[in-house]
Amino acid sequence: MMLRGLMTGLALVVSLPAFAQVPPELLNNTRRQNGESITACFDTTATTLEFDREVARLIADSLFVDLQTRDGFGGFPIDGAGFMDELSIAMNNTCDLFMGISVQVNSQFPEWAAVSRPYASMPFVLAVDNPDWQSLADIPHDRKIGTALQSLGELVFITWAQQQPEAERWKRLPYANFELMLKRVQDQSLGGMLLWQPSLVKLQQTVPAARDVRIIDLAPVPAVDVHVGALVSSKDSFLRSQVDEAIDALVADGTITALMERYGYTGHAGE
Amino acid sequence: MKLGLMKTCLIATTALLMLGTAAQAQGVRENYEPVTDEMLLNPPAEEWLMWRGNYANQGYSELDQINKDNVAGLQLAWAWPMADVGIQETAPLVHDGVMFLQTNNNIVEALDAKTGDRIWQYRHVLPELPAAWGYQLNQARRQKNSIALYGDKVILTTVDAKIVVLNAADGTVAWEKQVLDYQVGYSYTIGPLIVKDKIISAISGCSIAGTAGGCFILAHDANTGEELWRFNTIDDPNNPAQQESWGEVPAENRWGGTPWATGAYDPETNVTFWGVGMPGPYAELIRGSGDGSVLYTNSTLALDADTGELKWYYQHLPRDNWDLDSPFERILVSQEVDGKMANMVVSVPGKNGIAFGLDRDTGKYLWSKETVQQNVVTGIDPDGTVHINEDLISTAVGEAHLICTSVSGGKLWMAGSYSPKTQTFFVPLTEACNTVAPTQTEFTAGNAVGAVKFGPRVLPEGITEAGLVQALSVSPTEGDSKWQARSRPSMTSSLLATAGDLVFGGDAGRFVKAWDQETGEVLWEQRLNAPIGGYPMTYELDGEQYLVIPTGYSNAASSISSAFPEIPLPTGTGNSIFVFKLPAAK
Repeated sequence: MMLRGLMTGLALVVSLPAFAQVPPELLNNTRRQNGESITACFDTTATTLEFDREVARLIADSLFVDLQTRDGFGGFPIDGAGFMDELSIAMNNTCDLFMGISVQVNSQFPEWAAVSRPYASMPFVLAVDNPDWQSLADIPHDRKIGTALQSLGELVFITWAQQQPEAERWKRLPYANFELMLKRVQDQSLGGMLLWQPSLVKLQQTVPAARDVRIIDLAPVPAVDVHVGALVSSKDSFLRSQVDEAIDALVADGTITALMERYGYTGHAGE
Repeated sequence: MKLGLMKTCLIATTALLMLGTAAQAQGVRENYEPVTDEMLLNPPAEEWLMWRGNYANQGYSELDQINKDNVAGLQLAWAWPMADVGIQETAPLVHDGVMFLQTNNNIVEALDAKTGDRIWQYRHVLPELPAAWGYQLNQARRQKNSIALYGDKVILTTVDAKIVVLNAADGTVAWEKQVLDYQVGYSYTIGPLIVKDKIISAISGCSIAGTAGGCFILAHDANTGEELWRFNTIDDPNNPAQQESWGEVPAENRWGGTPWATGAYDPETNVTFWGVGMPGPYAELIRGSGDGSVLYTNSTLALDADTGELKWYYQHLPRDNWDLDSPFERILVSQEVDGKMANMVVSVPGKNGIAFGLDRDTGKYLWSKETVQQNVVTGIDPDGTVHINEDLISTAVGEAHLICTSVSGGKLWMAGSYSPKTQTFFVPLTEACNTVAPTQTEFTAGNAVGAVKFGPRVLPEGITEAGLVQALSVSPTEGDSKWQARSRPSMTSSLLATAGDLVFGGDAGRFVKAWDQETGEVLWEQRLNAPIGGYPMTYELDGEQYLVIPTGYSNAASSISSAFPEIPLPTGTGNSIFVFKLPAAK
């Protein structure tokens, strides 16, 4: 029953609208012959790529379908130029799910895509080199703070700063290269760095010096979590509901929590 | 294991390529006449040797066989479908009876310019595992890279940041050079300028996380590929004012500054002129630069062609917060006034559609003229200081403002043309506005790929016609409106001016038109298969003048087509060129 419904859902995917910035020849107009499988797509440059792969496999197992995977979508500009074009082609032609999506209220995803229920929520953290500081409030205001460029953490930091008198703000510099940001913390150019906790884990796995920084409280800036989910075609409401149910089950039975612990991720499963 | 897979993919790709090559009949153009420095300095009227026809980027032809008395009689000579789909921004060249046509995915075709028959085709091979390489694939379908002719070679710049040099006779690769690292995001999206054995071009991809701190105009030896100089548009250690203009943001945290259009060259002074695009991130709230002007974004740069040394700069839009970048074509104009030569750079450099005249030797501001409706620039002082509307700068994440022109222009990549005969500058423009809001909305969790949120492109209040051809009468003291030709659909092609007193160009409604240079009256129009695109050009062969009109899929059409819904866009791309000429004399 579930499988038959899923296949119906997959057939509906082909009726996605033509997207404004994509030449129509690039959009397949054929009915997918997936059989008893779903295809999950991944951003190969994603911070949590391997974690997302495992979640996709768990979702597929829950739905009793095989999992096909496709990697891509790396290297886009910080303004996102071209990303939606490629995503729209992939979602039309290939992908049933796009894993590792940031689930936010003001999502940029257009109406042809819907985000699933989050399968994990992981925090932004403030990492410092100075042993005397216990929270952001301890860092002198004349020190600069590095923030992960174009991130939810940066958004919250900026929004908080704009609400303060100028003398009570920290100067902020945006970084896309976290190894460079770490270097600037350790050479004292920066007082601290605000980045996603999985990004810090990744950094600590590849750069030994990253193990020397420690996490302190972000207060007075509010805590912020990124909710991670999957993208599903908004036309395929059945698949989306099935994926949501699968995620709920994986959260409820502790599978996602165990996975997060294995990867060293803090935060919590689900929303 | 991974390496093994990569090798297998590579072998498979190579094998497929060989099969593909074998299936194409590759011809040879015997006795091809090399393009000399002298030809580039003084292009023969019957040929079209470079992007905009001459070093001055004028988009002007001395040919006048097709003129305002007979243009209504134009007939189709031949047409040719392009080799790939994608956004169509092609700039065909003609030399020695051969048309060199670059199309999407860095494909170049050599066609017999009289018959339209293909002589050879070159297909650029992208690196292995391209699926993981989304941005360059996206850019590869946006064929903006013009090509260049020099000696017996065809020179192209590629999306994987290479210079590739082909033998013009048969399309085989003579040599190629990896200029910058595509894996961090660098990509060529504009074509080369050839100056005295040098290939001068500029890199793109400067808004990608991995390219922070470096966006370059570069010169390479045209014979060996050796790099001769590079100029960084966002980090100039020789200019303290440039550094201060980014506030406390060090070079390693700067993005943007992409030159998006091939430069011009003045042989008299050996100076090359380039336009530079917007800063990144778009909003100063995010980039941390405070009220700094963020040089050299949205500026004209004058560089010594031999050394890359900066001679002068002028900033057309300081403190950009709206992606209203100013990289478009710089046109060199010389006029004799009271026995003295006035040498100018004339341009509508940015999306906001404001025309500028600058002194070419000093960079001194001469004049400016507004064209389409815009609300970002509030005034320009006599000394050239540009004032912006600070009320339109977002002070909170998510705060939206209605900005005119839109992120798609106003002015866009479609180049204007200048007629020395009528001393008139013709500019293709679009009336449009959109809301702009800085919104930190990363797509993939944890990645530095976010977005400024742009609302839909709409026409300014009270305006029903999106398209505008603006004719400006140019002098050293002003750019005065000579005429305006408006159309309901947006303009989608560059313009070509000729000594036949005509201006050619076209729109999203698939109409190619010829306007009278003096009056703006439409003297000929023809509806084709798709939005008119690319760079119309003209050449003469065996005593007959030909007019080349590219058509195809157009972002300039699709991004604002909802403003003129009664004119449907084709569902196919239809990327083609149409070649017209006059009926044979009886």
